[in-house]
Amino acid sequence: MGSTTTKAVLLSDGKLAGTHAMPTGVDLAAAADECLRVICRAAGVGPDRLAALVATGYGRDRVTGAARTVTEITCHARGARALVPSARVVVDVGGQDSKVIRLDDDGMVADFVMNDKCAAGTGRFLEVMAARLNVPLEEFGMRWRRAKEAARISSTCTVFAESEVISLLSRGVSPEPIIRGLCDAVADRLAGMVHRVGLGGGLVMTGGVSRNEGVRRSLEEKLFAPVTVPEGSQFAGAYGAALIAFELGEGAEMLPTFGRGCR
Amino acid sequence: MMHFGIPSRFWQMVGQAAGGAARQTATRGARWTVVRPEVLLRWKLAYKVASAALPLLEARGAKAYQVAAIRCVLSDFADAYLGRKPCIFTSAFVPTELVYGLGGVPFLPEAAAGLAAAFGLAARSLFACEALWYSPDLCSFHRAGLGGAASGLLPRPSAVIVTSHLCDGGKRSLLHISRLAGCPFYMLDVPYIPSDRATRWLASQIEHVAGDLARRVPGLSLEGLAQALHRSNEALAEYERVSALRRNVPAPWRGSEALNYVLLFLWSWGSPSLAPFYRALRLHLERTIATGDFPVRDERHRLLWLNLRPYYDTRVFKHLEGDRASSVAFEEYSFAYWPSLDPRDPFASLAEKMMSNFGWGPIERRLEALERLVDDYSVDGVVQFAQWGCRQSNGGAAIIARELRKKGIPFLNLDGDGVDARCGTEAQAITRLGAFIELLDARRGW
Repeated sequence: MGSTTTKAVLLSDGKLAGTHAMPTGVDLAAAADECLRVICRAAGVGPDRLAALVATGYGRDRVTGAARTVTEITCHARGARALVPSARVVVDVGGQDSKVIRLDDDGMVADFVMNDKCAAGTGRFLEVMAARLNVPLEEFGMRWRRAKEAARISSTCTVFAESEVISLLSRGVSPEPIIRGLCDAVADRLAGMVHRVGLGGGLVMTGGVSRNEGVRRSLEEKLFAPVTVPEGSQFAGAYGAALIAFELGEGAEMLPTFGRGCR
Repeated sequence: MMHFGIPSRFWQMVGQAAGGAARQTATRGARWTVVRPEVLLRWKLAYKVASAALPLLEARGAKAYQVAAIRCVLSDFADAYLGRKPCIFTSAFVPTELVYGLGGVPFLPEAAAGLAAAFGLAARSLFACEALWYSPDLCSFHRAGLGGAASGLLPRPSAVIVTSHLCDGGKRSLLHISRLAGCPFYMLDVPYIPSDRATRWLASQIEHVAGDLARRVPGLSLEGLAQALHRSNEALAEYERVSALRRNVPAPWRGSEALNYVLLFLWSWGSPSLAPFYRALRLHLERTIATGDFPVRDERHRLLWLNLRPYYDTRVFKHLEGDRASSVAFEEYSFAYWPSLDPRDPFASLAEKMMSNFGWGPIERRLEALERLVDDYSVDGVVQFAQWGCRQSNGGAAIIARELRKKGIPFLNLDGDGVDARCGTEAQAITRLGAFIELLDARRGW
């Protein structure tokens, strides 16, 4: 259960059987129930036939019937590793926070850092700016590519950054360099966190913001390293939870789909 | 509200006695008059009522050591607020034996800030400090201390003593307090590198401060200095037994509660009330170990906690000790690092105590002490509470993390604030601690 989106991943015999995402809204328990109902219906199984249910994310304690709650840090690590077996550093940017996780050789969490005290560097930061610019978030990547240069967004605070954006617009600066500047500001934050856990090995980006090409490319520029965004990256946390649920339900077997290192 | 493991009703009562919201109904009309905490703290009757309630507390289930701790605090607060003894403000790590030995009562604004946070009184002090144009980047323990002094919440000091070592914000905020109060200000300049010469230099400063205070402040004299050192040694002997008992696996004492008593640990060396408190605590721990009634059931992991904790109401420790069944086995600030004091040579001895602080000097000293604590207390992981604005503790975090990891000890840097709840995010703190415990679980294959 993310702050913005509630996601569900269903596994059958260890293989992906369905995914679903929907806005979290204000009633977290209802959102969880609805998400579960939809994914089960699509797969043709009743919720009572689930072998195990694991909840993660900031609303994890609001999911009824969960066999276990696990933090999103552990789940994103598991999910990212399963999606990209060479992953060593996972950058997860969600709606209200961002985290960088270092994995050990076995795919376990070795270290992690989270953004502190500020919404800058999170999905919410980009949402606020997208609304101010009247540009859908989906267009950020295309606009980023069009920008010849990045506007300087000096503040790292969402509220003050918004006023900077207004100031830039009032000076006639077009949205493209502003968008590139905003992506750079988020990437600046993330790059600092990556260096804290240590850059090295495969770098994977997960969470809703991973779908934002502009942030990914800004991060690559800051780190001088390629960033892999796997298919279904926004579901990585839910997928990790599902893998843990599978182990709970089936008894700690290695998953045939992904093989070694998935634990 | 923070509690020391005592029924919450008692804390409501103490909160009222020590500065809470005692209310009186006016006889005419239905108007409520709130007795302001700074007024209540100066009422003799409040201390009499609170002291009289202590036996009742014990009868209703409070532990003897908890009552002893309250007695310790009440005694010093009564001395300070009622003006029974000259009140000397000090920064943390000034040897309080000096103040008790001179016949005064020490008062640590930064420790009082922790108490204020526990009783929900910190916000007003923080606002008062911000009104003086202090940046929120200054450590909230100092901001609340300074704001408390400026708004009249703290007693009036007869003098202020600070030390140059460890904490930078303390000496500056206390200088401001001394200016507000118009009282003498002394700073003990602690040499960075330990040596005999450095110790002698510091001892001569302490001697000068003691002599000057005895001359300038009525009611102070040097006569009781040796006695205060004796009392400190007596308390230290008891405390070392307490520390040894805390090595027990599982932990016999809740770390969240131990972190509350760090305030006494900083405040009360040389006080006649300290040894009885540690004696009572020692007996409690011995009993806990003998009966096996440990506070954290089925202890899964043991942590070493660096720096302080949030003193306002928070679910963080309930999550850690309850949901995650993990103990804070020991705390960095509970480490008694100094040797026994020599009452025949008090100034050199107090200088030696200050110089032996492991947090002062090159980072290797702190690291060495932490590695020792990790071994002594069979610790699985180390959590550094990264107090907002604390340069002293946070500055070495990267090096400490790296060196501990080399030894296979995971490290978590937990951002937060001990006093200013606006600077801490509870949900994030719980997620970080939860993920850290999951990391420790995974290392054990759980």
